[in-house]
Amino acid sequence: MTDTGELTYRRVHDAPPELLFDCMTTPAHLTRFWGPTGTTTPLDGIVVDLRPGGAFETTMVNDSDGSTYTMRAVYVEVERPHRLVWVEAESHGGMRTTVTFTALRDGRTEVVTHQTNVPAAFRSAAARAGFQTSLDRFAAYLKILDEGGTT
Amino acid sequence: MTTDELSLVFAALADPTRRAILERLARGDATVNQLAEPFAMSQQAVSKHIKVLEKARLVQRTRSAQSRPCALDAVRLDAAAGWIAEHRRVWADRYDRLDEHIAQLRGRDSG
Repeated sequence: MTDTGELTYRRVHDAPPELLFDCMTTPAHLTRFWGPTGTTTPLDGIVVDLRPGGAFETTMVNDSDGSTYTMRAVYVEVERPHRLVWVEAESHGGMRTTVTFTALRDGRTEVVTHQTNVPAAFRSAAARAGFQTSLDRFAAYLKILDEGGTT
Repeated sequence: MTTDELSLVFAALADPTRRAILERLARGDATVNQLAEPFAMSQQAVSKHIKVLEKARLVQRTRSAQSRPCALDAVRLDAAAGWIAEHRRVWADRYDRLDEHIAQLRGRDSG
């Protein structure tokens, strides 16, 4: 973790890098998984202009109340199937997301999602969520740090 | 909390010694001397770390007692922790669903 705040997520998926890269960059795939549980990401709300400088936009619709959240990003690097970088300049004050796809010997792929300039993204979320105090959450946070969630 | 304030929190938390100090303070208030003990570190070095934590408003120092014990100030930490936990949950969920999607694609291929 640097002064600007970074978050890293590592996952191993049972698929080759090409398929994972295509899933992350094709609207017909994105609509199936992009929105977390409890949301849907309609196909007509997804914009993928897969080139540096091209738009990457998704609108997630909350299943329970119909509220929407639109992520507006611009691709910075597009290197199929190894690396994908986008920046959320408008909605998140510049949070940069880098996704790397590394083929493992057993045919699986390690996907590392690295986000920088995270505090900018925090501002609006913090305003929405309000502030709460508990030592339980402090402990949870230290656990996240120890597990390498922020490095 | 402004972006600059959160940046101070992240910067303060970037150091393992400072995280250890916060863990110690989560168990109760302590003086600089008490905090310095487990770290094999000079009192002066620990004071520097505490100043960073104070600036980020993660630690408060009592002005009343002469020993000026340090206390954890968890409001900002909680705000940061809550957001990070939520953010991680979104990505974990997203990749879970990606796995399910891929399994379905492959099922279709083989079927």
